[in-house]
Amino acid sequence: MTDVDRGVTGRQPQAVRSALAVLEEVARAGAGVNAKEVAEALGMPPATTYRLLNLLVGEEYLVRLPDLHGFALGAKVAGLAGAIAPARVPTAARDVLGGLRGQVRAGVHLVLVAGATLRCADVDPDLPLASVGLVEGHLHATAVGHLVLAEEDDWRDAVHHPGRLVALTAATPTRPADVEACLGQVRAHGWAGQSGQLHEGVACLAVPVRGATGLLVAAVAVSSARGVVPVEYLAAAQECAAALAPLLD
Amino acid sequence: MTQRAPLGELPVRSPVAGLRRRGLSVAEVLAQSVSALAPSAAVVAVPSIVMVQAGAATLPVMLAGTALVVLVGWCLTHFARRMAAVGGVYSYTAKGLGPGGALLAGWALVVGYAAVAVSALVGSVAYLTSATGLPPTGWSPALLALGIGALATLTTVRGIRLSARVALALEVVSVAVVVVVLGVLLVAHDGGTGTGAAVVEGPVTAGGVATGVVLAVAAFMGFESAATLGVEARRPLVVVPRAVLWTPVAAGVLFLAAGLAQVVLLSAAPVEVLTSDVPVARLADAEGLGALSRLLDAGIAASFFACVTGSTNALSRVLFSMSREGVLPRALGRTHRRFSTPAVALAVVLPVLVGVPAVALGSGARARDVLAASLTVSALGYVLAYALAAAAMPLFLHRIGELTRPALAGGVTAAALASGVLVVALAGASWAGSGAMVVVFAVAWLPGPVLWAVLARRAPERLARVGVYDQATASSLLPGQGVRR
Repeated sequence: MTDVDRGVTGRQPQAVRSALAVLEEVARAGAGVNAKEVAEALGMPPATTYRLLNLLVGEEYLVRLPDLHGFALGAKVAGLAGAIAPARVPTAARDVLGGLRGQVRAGVHLVLVAGATLRCADVDPDLPLASVGLVEGHLHATAVGHLVLAEEDDWRDAVHHPGRLVALTAATPTRPADVEACLGQVRAHGWAGQSGQLHEGVACLAVPVRGATGLLVAAVAVSSARGVVPVEYLAAAQECAAALAPLLD
Repeated sequence: MTQRAPLGELPVRSPVAGLRRRGLSVAEVLAQSVSALAPSAAVVAVPSIVMVQAGAATLPVMLAGTALVVLVGWCLTHFARRMAAVGGVYSYTAKGLGPGGALLAGWALVVGYAAVAVSALVGSVAYLTSATGLPPTGWSPALLALGIGALATLTTVRGIRLSARVALALEVVSVAVVVVVLGVLLVAHDGGTGTGAAVVEGPVTAGGVATGVVLAVAAFMGFESAATLGVEARRPLVVVPRAVLWTPVAAGVLFLAAGLAQVVLLSAAPVEVLTSDVPVARLADAEGLGALSRLLDAGIAASFFACVTGSTNALSRVLFSMSREGVLPRALGRTHRRFSTPAVALAVVLPVLVGVPAVALGSGARARDVLAASLTVSALGYVLAYALAAAAMPLFLHRIGELTRPALAGGVTAAALASGVLVVALAGASWAGSGAMVVVFAVAWLPGPVLWAVLARRAPERLARVGVYDQATASSLLPGQGVRR
C-alpha cells in the first residue's frame, strides 16, 4: 500500500491539521452531515473541504452514505478508538453471561464486533482468556475471528496481510485455502469452533449474537483447556446469545 | 445541525456483491485502462490518418484531441472519487442525468466497448497474418480470429487479475518496440524530403481539422474503463480516479511524441508509404529493417489482443451492473463461483464479439475495412457516452452540494466539445467513408432508448435503481452514529 500513499507527505502539516479538523467535525455533527455544512462549520474554503472529505473517504475513515451527500465515520475509526475507549456492556447482559457461566465448566466470554474489529468486552474472571490481545489481533486463528471473517464477502478485506498470515501454532490456518475451509464450516453450521489454532491445547466455541437485521454485533465464546471444541455447550451458548441479542443491538 | 432528516436504512450486503472485492492493485487497475486504450496500436495507426485529414495542422490537432480526452478524464475523476461503480461511465451518468441519460450513455458505451473489441480482434488478426506471412483473407484469418477469441475468453473468465497482468505485459513490450522502431528510424533519417511532404504540409481546412480531432479522440477510446473496477480495486476511490486521469495523460505524451516522429519521417517518405495500411512498418522495410518491422507487427498484434480483453472486461461489467439493477435479465448478473468474474455476461458477449469478425473475415472481407467500420461505430458510442458523462458531472456535484466553479466550467466545456466532435463524426466526413456505419451504430444503440421507454412505462421501480454502485453497507460504518443498521 505504501506505493500509493503519496497524497499527503510529512511536509504538509496544514493539510494534515485540516484533514483532522474535517474528521472531528463529522464526528461532532453526526452521521448525515454534508460537505457544505462541514465547510461552513470550519470556515474552510469549500473546494479544500471537498478534497479533504474525498481523501478521508478514499482512506475509509469516512463513509459516504448512500444518498452520496451525507458523511459518517467509517468502521476504520474503530481501529483508532478501540484501543482506548472502554467497552460498555449493560448489566442485564452481564447477568445473562453470569447465568451461562453457572451452567458450564469452561470460560465464557463476550466479544463485541464492529465491522472487522473485535473487543473482548467481558472476559470470564475465573477462567480468563490467555491473551486478549492475540484474540483481538488474529482473526484467522480464533473462533470469534472466523465468525467475523465468514460475514465478509471476501475475508481478505478484513485481515491485515492476507498473504502472510501468522502461524501461532502448528494448527493455525495460514494458507488462504485453509482459512476458506474454516469459513466454509462456519457458514454451514452457523457457529465457529477451533482447537489449538491460537494456543496449543486450548479450544474455543463461538456463537454469533445478531441484531434485528441479522448484523453480527457480538459473539459468545466458550473456551476450554481440554483441547476439544466444547460442542456440548453449544445449545446453552446459543440460548445465551439469543438472550443477549436485544440487549446489545 | 443536530436535527437531521432520518437516514435511510443501510443494507447488510452491497448491491454489487459477488465480484471479488478489493483485490486489484494499482498496477492492475491501471492495466485495465491501458489495455483498453491500446496505446501502441493507437500511436502507430492514428497519426498517419490524422495527417491525411489535417495536413500541416496535424500536431496542433493531435494536441487538441489529447486535451479534450484529458478534460473528459478529469470530469470522470469527480465521480470516481465519490463512488465505486461497476458500470463505469454508465453508473456515473445515472447520478447526474438520471436513469434515462444513464441508459442512453450506458448503451452507447456497450456499443463502444463491443465494437472496439471487434476491431481490436480484427486488428490483432491482421497484424499477426502480416507478421507470419499467412494469407490476409479467407479461412485462415477467420480461424485465427476464433483462436484469439478463445484465448481472450480464457483470460477474461479466469479473472481480471490474470487478464490485466497479461495485458500490461503485452502493452509494455509493444510500446517498447514502437519506441525502438521510431527511434532507430529517426537516427537513420537523413533530413531529406519526399513526396509525403505534400500531404504532411498540406492545406488546412476546417472540415479536415474537425475530422482530425475526432480521429485523435478515437485513439484514446477505452481510457475510462478502469472505472468499471470500482468493486474489484483496492482503495477504489483513490486508485480509480488516478487511473482514469493519468492513463490519457501518459498515453497523450506518447501519442504526441510518436506523432512528431511520424511527421518528420513521413514527410521524407514517398506519399504511397503515408497512405499505406501500416506506414511505420513500411518505413522500417524501406530502411532495410525487415526484422524490426516483423517485430513491430507482432507487438501491435499483442497490443490489439490486450485491447480485446480490456474492452471485453469492461463490457461484461457494464452488463453485470445493468442486470443487478433489473434493467437486463437477472442471469447476466451471476458471477463465476470460483473466479468471481461476471462469467454469464462474458459468455453471452464473447461469442458475438468473436463470431462477427470471424464470419466477416471468413466470407472474404478485407481486415482493413472491418477494422475501419467497427472503429467508426465504437467511436460514435464512446464519444456520445463521454459527452453525456461530462454533462452529468456538474449536475451530480450540484445535487450533492459539492459543485465548484472549475468543475462547472470543466464539465460544460468537455460536454460541449465532445458533442461538437460527435456532430462532426456524424456529419459523415467520416474516415470510413460511408454513412452505413452511422446506421449500424443507430441500430445497435436503439436498445438503450427502447429499454428506457419500456421500463419507464412498465417497471419504473427498476428504472429508479439504475446507477447501483458499491455503496456503504452496515459493516462499513462505525456503529452508534444514529444510522439505522
